[in-house]
Amino acid sequence: MGMRHIGYATRTIPKFLDPLPGGAKLVDAIEFVVAWARANSLWPLIYGTACCAMEMMSTGSSRHDWARFGVEVARATPRQADLIVLAGTIVEKMGSRLVTLYEQMPGPKYVIAMGSCAISGGPFYYDSYSVIKGGDRLIPVDVYIPGCPPRPEALLYGIMQLQEKIRTEGRRNPWKIGTLNQAPFGDPLAEAKKMWADLEKSRPAAPPAAADAAGGNGAIDRPKPKRPATEQFAEVARSPLPAPLLDNGTIYAYIIENFPEITLTRQSEQTVEQVRALGQEYLLDLTVPLRRYVELVGFLKDSELLDMNFLLHVTAVDRPDRFEVLAHLFSANQGHNILIRCALDRQQPEIPSLSPLFAGAIWHEREVFDLFGIRFSNHPDLRRLFLEDNFPGHPLRKDFDDPSRVVRRPY
Amino acid sequence: MTEQQAGLADDILENGVAMTVPPGFSIDRRERHTDEYFLNMGPQHPSTHGVLRLMLRMDGENVLEVVPHLGYIHRGLEKIGENQTYLQNIHLTDRLDYLSSHMNNLALCLAIEKAMGIGVPERAEYIRVMVCELQRIQSHLLWWGVLGMDLGAITSFLYGFKEREMITDIFEEMCGARLTMNFFRPGGSFADVPDTFIPRVRAVIEKMKTAIDEYDTLLTNNVIMHLRTKGIGVLPAKTALAHGCSGPVLRGSGVALDVRRSDPYSIYHRFSFDIPVGTVGDCFDRYKVRMEEMRQSLRILEAAAASFPGGPYRSKKYASYNLPAGSYYSQVETARGLLGVYIEADGGPKPHRIKYRSPSFANLSALNDLAVGHKLADLVPIIATLDVLIPDIDR
Amino acid sequence: MIDTSRFPATNAIGDFIRATLPGPAAELTNIVLAVLAILTVVGLTPVALIWMERKVAAHFQARLGPMRVGYHGLLQPLADGIKLIFKEVMKPEGADTFVFFLAPILSATASFMVLTVIPFDHHLQVTDLAGGVLYVIAVAGLGIMGVLLAGWSSNNKYSLLGAMRSGAQMISYEISLALLMLLIVLLSGTASLREIVFSQAGTVLDWWIFKFPLFGLVAFVLFLISSTAELNRAPFDMAEAESELTGGFTTEYSGISFAMFFLAEFVNMFMAASLTTTFFLGGFLAPQFGLAPLDRVLDAIPGFLWFFLKSYSVIFIYMWFRWTFPRPRVDQLMNLEWKVLVPANFFLLLVAGLFVAMGLV
Repeated sequence: MGMRHIGYATRTIPKFLDPLPGGAKLVDAIEFVVAWARANSLWPLIYGTACCAMEMMSTGSSRHDWARFGVEVARATPRQADLIVLAGTIVEKMGSRLVTLYEQMPGPKYVIAMGSCAISGGPFYYDSYSVIKGGDRLIPVDVYIPGCPPRPEALLYGIMQLQEKIRTEGRRNPWKIGTLNQAPFGDPLAEAKKMWADLEKSRPAAPPAAADAAGGNGAIDRPKPKRPATEQFAEVARSPLPAPLLDNGTIYAYIIENFPEITLTRQSEQTVEQVRALGQEYLLDLTVPLRRYVELVGFLKDSELLDMNFLLHVTAVDRPDRFEVLAHLFSANQGHNILIRCALDRQQPEIPSLSPLFAGAIWHEREVFDLFGIRFSNHPDLRRLFLEDNFPGHPLRKDFDDPSRVVRRPY
Repeated sequence: MTEQQAGLADDILENGVAMTVPPGFSIDRRERHTDEYFLNMGPQHPSTHGVLRLMLRMDGENVLEVVPHLGYIHRGLEKIGENQTYLQNIHLTDRLDYLSSHMNNLALCLAIEKAMGIGVPERAEYIRVMVCELQRIQSHLLWWGVLGMDLGAITSFLYGFKEREMITDIFEEMCGARLTMNFFRPGGSFADVPDTFIPRVRAVIEKMKTAIDEYDTLLTNNVIMHLRTKGIGVLPAKTALAHGCSGPVLRGSGVALDVRRSDPYSIYHRFSFDIPVGTVGDCFDRYKVRMEEMRQSLRILEAAAASFPGGPYRSKKYASYNLPAGSYYSQVETARGLLGVYIEADGGPKPHRIKYRSPSFANLSALNDLAVGHKLADLVPIIATLDVLIPDIDR
Repeated sequence: MIDTSRFPATNAIGDFIRATLPGPAAELTNIVLAVLAILTVVGLTPVALIWMERKVAAHFQARLGPMRVGYHGLLQPLADGIKLIFKEVMKPEGADTFVFFLAPILSATASFMVLTVIPFDHHLQVTDLAGGVLYVIAVAGLGIMGVLLAGWSSNNKYSLLGAMRSGAQMISYEISLALLMLLIVLLSGTASLREIVFSQAGTVLDWWIFKFPLFGLVAFVLFLISSTAELNRAPFDMAEAESELTGGFTTEYSGISFAMFFLAEFVNMFMAASLTTTFFLGGFLAPQFGLAPLDRVLDAIPGFLWFFLKSYSVIFIYMWFRWTFPRPRVDQLMNLEWKVLVPANFFLLLVAGLFVAMGLV
C-alpha cells in the first residue's frame, strides 16, 4: 500500500508539527493510532461470487466469528467498506464491475484474494474462455489466501496478516514495528540459518558414520515415503431399480407409429425389439428431421399416454459436419425421459424455437444461441445469455479458439 | 453505485426524459410522461445471492417487469469439462451448486455407472443416501439463514450456520473438504466413512429435531414473516411446469415431483419419506416445503443410520473410465431441484459434450412471473425462496 | 410540588451554586455545567452504544463480538471512529455538493438538540422549557430533513427510494409519538419534562407505566414501537433496508459524513430511550418500593445513574427488537401506523381524558 493512500490530512499535519519540538514524536503517535484504528476496524464489503463466499460467510458465523477482529458491520455499499474479500471466481463480465466497486471504495482500502480462483483462476485456469486469471490482474491485492476454498481459519489468518500489514505500513513507522533486523540486501536466510545451527548443536551427537561406508549419504535413516497399498475391490452387479410405468419399447413404438421418419441415434437396427433389448437404462435418443421437430415436441407434450410435460433442457452438440440440437423431455408424473435430436447445417444453423410450447425454453435457447451461435426462429428475445454482446465467437463450438482468453491445457 | 446509474448513462434524453429501454423488456420505447423508471439491482447487491443482476422496470416501489441478466460467474464449466477426463469432471461438478456438491458428484457418477454398467455395493449406496440427505439439510439450513437475513432478521443467519457447521464437520472428517467435496466415484466413494460417522449423524439428528422447532419459534411463527411471505410471489403449478421449475419451488406450487420418487436412483426407493407440497405456491408455501423437507431428510437419515451395513465402500476400480460412444443421462434431486447430467461420449477418455441441467437456471427463469405486481421489497423473499445459486445457473 | 430533599447526592452542586451566586448567574452557571455534562454524555453515549450493540448482537447470535482491542473489545468503537474520521470522503458524480454534505450535519444536530431539554437529573438539564414536549416534537422532526436531503442529493435511485420511505415513515410515526406524548401531558397536567418526572414521584407504582392502570403499559409498548419506527431502526429500518436498498439514504456516504449518520442514529436511540424513561419510567427518580430502609439506600444513588440505568434498559429492548424480528414491508408499516397505532392512540387519549375528568389519576 505504502504511499498510495496518503491523503490530504496525512500530508499536511506533519508539515506543521514536524518543526515544533517534540512534534515529530506526536506525528508518529498519531500515525500509530490511526494505523491501529484502521487495522482493527476493517469493514468488509458484502461481495462474493462463488464457493469461497460460503466460507467467507462461515467466517462471519458463530463458530469463527471474524467480528472478534473488528471485521464486522459488513457493508452492502462500497462507500463504507474498507476491505473487499475477492471470494470466488472473477469472470470477464464481472471484472469491470469489480473494478468499479473497488474505485467506489474510499481509501485506504484493502483487498484480500481468497481462494485459488481469485489468486490465479484456480481450477478454471485452463480452457476457460471467460475466467480472469487472478484478481490482481484487475485490482491491487494485499493478501493472498490459497485454498479451494480456503478454510475459515485461513481467512482469519489472512485478516490477521492484513492487520499486521496495515499496522506496519505507516509512513514513518514509529516504534519500528515490523522492520527487518538486518540490512535488506543481507542474507535473507541468516536468521533461519542461525536457528538451524542452534538446533543442530542441541542435538545428541550423530551416530558414527558407519552407514556412509555402506554407501550413499544414509547417515540419517529417513523413512522412505510409501504409497499406501491400493485396495482391491470386487466387481458388483448393478442392482435393478423399480421399473417406470412405461418402458422404452412402448414409448418408442407409440412414437414411430405417429412419426415414422424418426430414427434411433447410433443404432443400426430401428426396431422396437432393439429398443427393448437395450434395456431400461438406455436413454431413448431419437433423431428427427428438422421439419417435424417442433411438431414432435408438441406431440410428446400433449400426448396423454406419454405426458411429457417437463422440458429438461435444450442444448446442442458440435459435430464436424453438423450441429445437433437436443431437446430433452421428461414426464413429471411418470418419470421417463426422451432425448430428441435434430441435425442442423453447420454454416447457417437455424431451428424453430420451442418457446411457444415451453416458457422455460426461452433461456435454454438463449444459452445455445450464446454458446453455439445457433439461431432460433420466432424466439421472443434472442440475445446472448452469459457472455457480453461483443464477445467474439461462440465458445462451445469445437473450432473456437481465442488465444487472448484461453490457455489450452498442455496435457 | 455507478453500476446502478448505468441504465441512465446510455439513455437518450428527449426533453429530459430518458426514452430508450434497456434490452430484454417487453416495451420497446418509453412513453414520454410516465412515472416509470429503470432500476439496476446487482450484480453487486446483498439480496441477489451472489452476482445475479436484475433490471427492474418500476413505478415508485412497484415492480412492473424484471429482466434478469446472467453470466457474471459464467466460467465455461462445460467447455473445461470437454478437455478433462470423466473422473476429472467430478471436481468441476462441485463448483456448480456448491451447496449440493455431493449430489452433483453423484449425478455425474450415476451417469458414468450407467454407461459402464458399474454396480454399487450396499454400504456405498447407504453412504450416498445419507451424505446426500445430510447435505440437503445443510443446504436448507443455509437457505433458511439467508432468507431470514434478507428479511432483516440477521440472527437467523447465524443460527442456521451454527447447525450447519455440525454437518460440515462430518463432511470434513469424511473427505477433508468443507464445501467442494469431490467424494463420490463411479462405484462408490473414494474413501470409506470413518467410524465416527454414524454417531455423528445421530448427534445431528438429535440436534436438528430441536433446532427446527427453534427455527419455527424464531421465524416461521413470526407475524412479520407471515406478512412478508404469504400471498407474495404466487407461482401457479402450470407456470412452474412450463418453466421447468423443480425441487421445492415446484413442490411449493403443489406438484409432487421429486426425482427421488418419480425416477429413483441409488436406494431411495427403499426408504419411506413424504414429499411435502404446498397449496398456493407463494413464498410461504415454498418456505414450509423446505422446512418439512428437512424433517423428512432426518427421517431418511434415521432409518439409514439404523440399518447401516458393513462391507466394501466401492466396487472395482478401473484403470480408465472411457465411456462407450453414446448418450447418457442421469438426474438427481439436489437441494434446489432436478439436476441432470447429460454426457455425449465418443469412446475416448474425455466427453465429447457434457451438459449440466441445473435446477436454479429453470427456477430463476420464472422470476418475472413471480415478481410482477409486487413491491421492490417483495423481490427479496421471492429471490430468497426461489433459492437460486448463481454459479449453478451460470455454470 | 415534590420534596427536593429527596435528592441528597445530586442536589449538592445545584444548592451550592444557588447559595453562592446571585439569581441569574446561578441559572447561567447551571446551564453551562449542564451543557458540559451533556456534551460529555453525548460524546460517550455513541461509543458505549456501539460497543453495546455489537456485544448484544454477538451474544444473541452465539458469537463473541469484538474481542481483540481492549478488554472484550471495549476500544472497538474508538477504532471505528478514528478509522472513519481518517477515511476518504467521496462525493458521487452529479451529487449536489452543498446539500450532500449538509445533510449528515443536519441529521446529527437535530438529535443533539433534543437532549437539551431532557432532565438527566434534578439539576442536570440545560433548560426546562414549559413546553418541553412541544420542543421535542418539533426538533426531533428536523432529523427527517437530513435524511430526505441525503437521499435527494446523492443522485442515486436507491438513496432516493430510501429517503422517501424514511420520510413517509418518520412523518407518520411522529403522529403516534406526539399523541403518546400528549397522553402523558394530559395525565400529568404539564408539558415540562421535569414536571412530568416529578409527577411520577412516589413508589414504582406511581410511574406512568403503572399509574395509568393497564393502559399505561399499553401506551409504553406503543411508545416503544413508534419510537423504533421513528428511529429507523430494525425491524423498521425501511430507509436503510440493507437487503433491498443496499444502504438506503446512506448508500453514497463515506468516511466522516457516514460517521455523522452513524452518530445520529445512536444519539437518536439514546434520545428515544431517555424520552421513554422520562415519560414512563420515572426519569431520574430512584425506584421506591414503600420500604423505608431500602428506599433510602436507593435514593442515595445519584439520579443521573438511575436515569442512565433506565435508558440503557430501554435501549437493550430496542436492540432485542433489532436482532430478533424480520422487517415488514414499507406499506405494511404504514398500515400498522394509520390503521392500528393512530386509532389505538386516540382511544388511549380518550380513556385518559375520562380518567382525568373523573379524577382517577
